[in-house]
Amino acid sequence: MDTFSRRSFVKAAGVGIATPIAMPSIIRPAYAASGTVKLGCLFSSSGTMANLEGRLNHVVRMAADEINAKGGVNGKTIDVAVSDPASDWPLYAQSAKQMLDQEKVAALFGCWTSVSRKTVLPVVEQADGLLFYPLHFEGEENSKNIVYVNSPPTSSVLPAVDYLMGEDGVSAKRFFMIGSDYVWPRTINKQLKAYWKSKGIPETAWKEEYVPLGFSNFQTLVSQIRAFADQGGGKAIVVLTVVGSSIPDFLREFANQGLKATDVPVLGLDMVEADLEGLNTEPLVGHLNCWAYLQNAKGPANVAFLKKWADYVKAKNVPFKGDVAIDPMVSAYDSVHLWAMAAAKAGSFAVPEVRKAFAGLTFDCPSGYKIGMTAENNYVSRGVFIGSVNEKQGFDVLWQSKDTPKPVPFSTLG
Amino acid sequence: MVASAVAARTGLRRFCLALCLALIVTPSIAAPADRPGVIANLCGDGAAFADAGRALTALAADGSAEDRTWAAPIARAVLDRKLTCDANGAVVVLQGAFLDAASRAPREPADGAHAPFLSLKNRATFETAEAALALGTATDVGRRAAALHVLEHRASALPDTFFDAAAARETDPALKQQMLVVAQIGALRSTDPAKRITALGRIAETPNRRARAEVQPLVSDLAYAKDPQFKQAVDAALAKISRGISIGDVLATLYSGLSFASILFMAAIGLAVIFGLMGVINLAQGELIMIGAYATWLVQQGLRTYAPGLLDYYLIIAIPVAFLVTASIGILLEVVLLRHLYKRPLMSLLATWAVSLFLSNLVRVVFGTQNLQFVTPYYVTGGVPVIGDFFFTWNRMFAIAFAAVTLALTWAIVRLTPLGLNIRAVTQNRTMAGCIGIPVRRVDMLAFGLGSGLAGLAGLALAPIYSVNPQMGQNFIIDSFMVVVLGGVGTIGGTVVAALGIGQINVLIEPWYGAVAAKVIVLLMIIAFLQVRPEGLFAVKGRRK
Repeated sequence: MDTFSRRSFVKAAGVGIATPIAMPSIIRPAYAASGTVKLGCLFSSSGTMANLEGRLNHVVRMAADEINAKGGVNGKTIDVAVSDPASDWPLYAQSAKQMLDQEKVAALFGCWTSVSRKTVLPVVEQADGLLFYPLHFEGEENSKNIVYVNSPPTSSVLPAVDYLMGEDGVSAKRFFMIGSDYVWPRTINKQLKAYWKSKGIPETAWKEEYVPLGFSNFQTLVSQIRAFADQGGGKAIVVLTVVGSSIPDFLREFANQGLKATDVPVLGLDMVEADLEGLNTEPLVGHLNCWAYLQNAKGPANVAFLKKWADYVKAKNVPFKGDVAIDPMVSAYDSVHLWAMAAAKAGSFAVPEVRKAFAGLTFDCPSGYKIGMTAENNYVSRGVFIGSVNEKQGFDVLWQSKDTPKPVPFSTLG
Repeated sequence: MVASAVAARTGLRRFCLALCLALIVTPSIAAPADRPGVIANLCGDGAAFADAGRALTALAADGSAEDRTWAAPIARAVLDRKLTCDANGAVVVLQGAFLDAASRAPREPADGAHAPFLSLKNRATFETAEAALALGTATDVGRRAAALHVLEHRASALPDTFFDAAAARETDPALKQQMLVVAQIGALRSTDPAKRITALGRIAETPNRRARAEVQPLVSDLAYAKDPQFKQAVDAALAKISRGISIGDVLATLYSGLSFASILFMAAIGLAVIFGLMGVINLAQGELIMIGAYATWLVQQGLRTYAPGLLDYYLIIAIPVAFLVTASIGILLEVVLLRHLYKRPLMSLLATWAVSLFLSNLVRVVFGTQNLQFVTPYYVTGGVPVIGDFFFTWNRMFAIAFAAVTLALTWAIVRLTPLGLNIRAVTQNRTMAGCIGIPVRRVDMLAFGLGSGLAGLAGLALAPIYSVNPQMGQNFIIDSFMVVVLGGVGTIGGTVVAALGIGQINVLIEPWYGAVAAKVIVLLMIIAFLQVRPEGLFAVKGRRK
């Protein structure tokens, strides 16, 4: 063993390339320093999603750099190719096709909204590619070509709604759902309604409203929420599934009409730290969100991750804040590591082999949980956090799960 | 006794009950508060913490004046997370000084001191305690009024006599009156029918859905069937409240419509000038709005650095800046680009589209993609309840007033100044205007500058309402074209009427069919209208190309 590694070191030094003496280069010396493997990013850096998705490109690069610094995967260094689908859903499919056909990427990391994932789905299925999807979503999908790194509703939304309905929460009895008009909010709300029905809550206890994507004039809706909350019949909460710039616009109007979290709490399912940038959060303190990671998560893994991101932002002059970390960033970071571990385990970059290697993988996620995958499906089991808005434009951890619940792809509630 | 069983659970509970009993029997004598006990509970587990919150509320209701003054800063500090617990009790930060929470002697918190965490439920308890204490101790009338506003919703968490006692202490007559009204909710449950009837009358004076939720259950009250006088009072109160709610709803709809119309108008007026005068479809108009908002932000940042005292007035100070910055960009655009494309409308459309992409990406590179943070000055913060559930918000009022002033100024420029005369002449007949010596090119340039400057002002007016980011302009371009085309190209009056119409119709449809359908229906209505009247509502009389 000792002589082996010394020999390979001498060999590498001889050709003038400082190949690190990492494990893969020992196992498969034939691969040593013979080129790169490409990964592709499908995150918009222009359009309505730019502020949120844009930062994920940099996180993928950061994770790749980290793996490269340890010797790459299967003896190859990772090269990250970035595209800009411009928040235009059909363009995601086009970019994905280009990445797979021309750039020959080994895996794709991308999409934020469910509608963009749905457009990419047939492309990756046809080419038998691999897409890592870092957002929590509505479930009801299980493709062998997509790795669902974040949680379906049973392990994110339902625990949060349960918490609010319980004694520790606010004993919520009535629900006002507001969503952007597309597949994710509609499916989530459908499942929520089925869930409430299964709990014996009458249909009169909820109200459902949708707004167009990018909607900003929330005056009438907030008045409706006030009227709904004042009708009596138990504590009312808002389940907010609007996305993008509608989130801060809604919160601003909500606070402006004098509503507080203690009057009507808002559970923002797509609300992340980045949505609070630019808002005065003092009148918003107490509103909630639920994710598989919060920036205030405790543990050394998170401290290390936050430092890495801050350093990366500084070193590479990234146009995003170094002191803001959101769940999809961590999920994208986990994705790259999961892929690298699977590829190393399979000893190959071929999608069928990598896919087979997913079973039994575990990774120490910055959230503090050990996340894992099984042979059953391409879902990743993650922890659950409920966050509460604080004065400093962030979220405090209000509640977190003991372990990582097993993800259930298809809702049993109809 | 039930009371003794409950009291056995914690010493604190017993103490609270003792207080309550003392209040009922001899309201004038209050036991001194168990200060270390309250503090120990504050630093205890979740249940004890909630007990501490209720103890503070109880102090507000019947503690001595001294105890209330002691308790008020504690409730505030818990909410602001300025109270930290350590092994020796708790430390509060008051006016920058560290003081022991119980004794108020100066002391630094020990290492590892932590602020108790507020769950949503406990936050409500402490908000109630804080407001109840502030109502009795705050020296500022506004602060007491705000506290009363918080407590209105939570009258059930307080003893029935709380508001009467507070009203007796109150020195401000208007606030005293409001307190008496809130006190009536307790009186509704009284056993004295006369008291209940007076209470009904008082409650009906502030009609809203909360009042209705209080009064409605009385219909199934025993007295309702037996006592005709009571029945009459309940029915009258319900009728009055329902009327108030209806009026409030109508006003709220009109106000929402008006404020949406003011935003549409601000976004469209600049376009109306440009489109009307030159027939140029300026797709960069949305980006000029965005740049106006960014100029406002820069003014705010400048004031923060050089004149922090004036920071609250940045929205006023930024008016000339936002106008001049966007006007100069407009003039530059006209001179460099559009002047050469007047005879080719399709080319100018494409060119302005390219400019819009260029501007939004330029801003993205320079400032980043995140939303900008604006200070909310006091004059655009919050609002006041008027009648029923109509809530009058100041930031919308600011937009409405701003739109009204802009309308007046634009009208004055177009109608009363020599430039306006020239603009109208060129709009009516460009060739003829040129023949009689009007400098057509110069008028074009200045009018383009005026239109762009108006877009900048729109950006300023939108800053306190919407998120400001590089994409914000795209949201407005379609709406503003809709207004301009519907209003009739190039007329200010048409733009006003069209903005009011679209705004109001949108708001009217929204509660019935939802925001998505509202948008579709409005677009269909416009299409149908333009079939009948392609020139829009008000067409400029005169010969057009």
